[in-house]
Amino acid sequence: MFASAKDWLGGGLVASQSPAVIRPAGRPGSAIALEDVSLSVGAPGGQVEILRDASLRVAAGEFVCLLGPSGSGKSTILNLVAGLARPTSGRVLEGEKPVSGPGPDRAVVFQDAALFPWLTLRDNIEFPLKLQGLKPRARAERSEELLRLVHLWRFQDRYPHELSGGMRQRGAIARALATNPAVLLMDEPFAALDAQTREILQGEVERIWSATRKTVIFVTHNVREAVRLADRVVLMGTRPGRILHEETIDLPRPRAATDERVSVLASGIARRIASEVEKIVREEADDAWVAPGAHGGGDPRRHLGRGI
Amino acid sequence: MAILVAIWAAASEIARTPLAPGPIDVGRALLSGVRDGTMVRALVTSAVRLSVGYVVALALGVPLGTGLARSRFVKQSLGPVVLGLSSVPSICWLPLAILWFGLSEWAIQLVVVLGAALPVAVATENAVKHVPPSIERAARTMGARGARLMLTVTLPAALPGILGGAKVGWTFALRSLMAGELLFVSGGLGQLLETGRDLGDTALVLAVVVVIVALGRASEVLLFARADRAIARRWGVEGA
Repeated sequence: MFASAKDWLGGGLVASQSPAVIRPAGRPGSAIALEDVSLSVGAPGGQVEILRDASLRVAAGEFVCLLGPSGSGKSTILNLVAGLARPTSGRVLEGEKPVSGPGPDRAVVFQDAALFPWLTLRDNIEFPLKLQGLKPRARAERSEELLRLVHLWRFQDRYPHELSGGMRQRGAIARALATNPAVLLMDEPFAALDAQTREILQGEVERIWSATRKTVIFVTHNVREAVRLADRVVLMGTRPGRILHEETIDLPRPRAATDERVSVLASGIARRIASEVEKIVREEADDAWVAPGAHGGGDPRRHLGRGI
Repeated sequence: MAILVAIWAAASEIARTPLAPGPIDVGRALLSGVRDGTMVRALVTSAVRLSVGYVVALALGVPLGTGLARSRFVKQSLGPVVLGLSSVPSICWLPLAILWFGLSEWAIQLVVVLGAALPVAVATENAVKHVPPSIERAARTMGARGARLMLTVTLPAALPGILGGAKVGWTFALRSLMAGELLFVSGGLGQLLETGRDLGDTALVLAVVVVIVALGRASEVLLFARADRAIARRWGVEGA
């Protein structure tokens, strides 16, 4: 199934000799814990609470999806775990030790892929390896392995703007895996892709996760995507962003995109978050009509829920 | 082009005054300047000054612009100064420069550097500010920090904008240099222009202008066309 998908995506990719299973080499996943984490931003007086009292435990090797409407703080949790943001109160732990800043043990895949435009795909993937001081030979081996894993070996010399959106995302996943991180953080990585590409990449992510057993925290506002991928779905609410409750997804893997059980579970969860979504729509409409332009200079993007 | 030259020839033929030399006169002046070496010496003098001043301007402007974009301290202390100074034509500094350095290379270089460094700094500031945040965040999650982050990620990401500033800086450097050489006799194309005026030799004046145009075009082709192509290849057409 993946073979055909790959052909379609890669624009006539010849049968690649990619290793069917990649080495579950190096670092296994590590556990992540949030303990009563809150985050507020803004100048004193104009504080905006982004996340309130979030507590979450993610087991080593677990696949957790954070699901919620815009503005529910799901990207914020990801940034906190990545070390790109610091909590106002509470603790974020990787294993036993608190997260003190960004590091290659926690790799991030961003929604816009964030590949470096001045480097070829291959150099992009080797970039984190270079930072770690790997010799050119070792870098080349590792990047080949990763390029084959995501079926982009033939496109190694392309620059990011020469790749399709789906290919860029796969490249970003390969780059994130390059340093063999213990935790893979994915921030709505497929949100900008069309539905078919999205389903194919979901399958790829599940396959890669099964092979590597990384701990994955995957942010999405797509209920089906969450249900298809996750061991556990964490539902989040808005104003302020907070964790509402969790749902264990006990379905056998690999899960097909068309699996009916995925649909059934997804519609149940969708009903549950409908009230939250309604709430935010109402509030945003009020903002627009009652007080146009009276946001006090707040970043309008925050209303679209891109976190901080 | 050929048509324009033909019209020029015809017009100067009709005017029949030494103030409006035709293309043949200008060509002759150019040729004799090359033969007796005055034109070549002047060109070399100016080109060397231009290159030295321009390199110094880049070396100052890029770090300054980066500082303006990234450091609040630099922005608050130097930001207004840079903005204010960049509205002053750099030739205005020549009197001061002559008082400081006398009639020396230093004086004219100061004018060239001031003329070119400020637009480079302003463009660099803008380019660095507009590097997509996700690019730097991605690099930080891979463990890049500090100077390394700046040199291997932020500045390369800002390169299209910096190159734009470098081009503007080049033309500013050329203009400042010509103005400086016109006012302050010390070899170079600007001085040759002045000589042409003294002698009432309009053909020589126009010949020097032709050489200056050629210098500008040559630098465009040699320096920037390749860089533009490299940027277009990497960033796609939008980035160029």
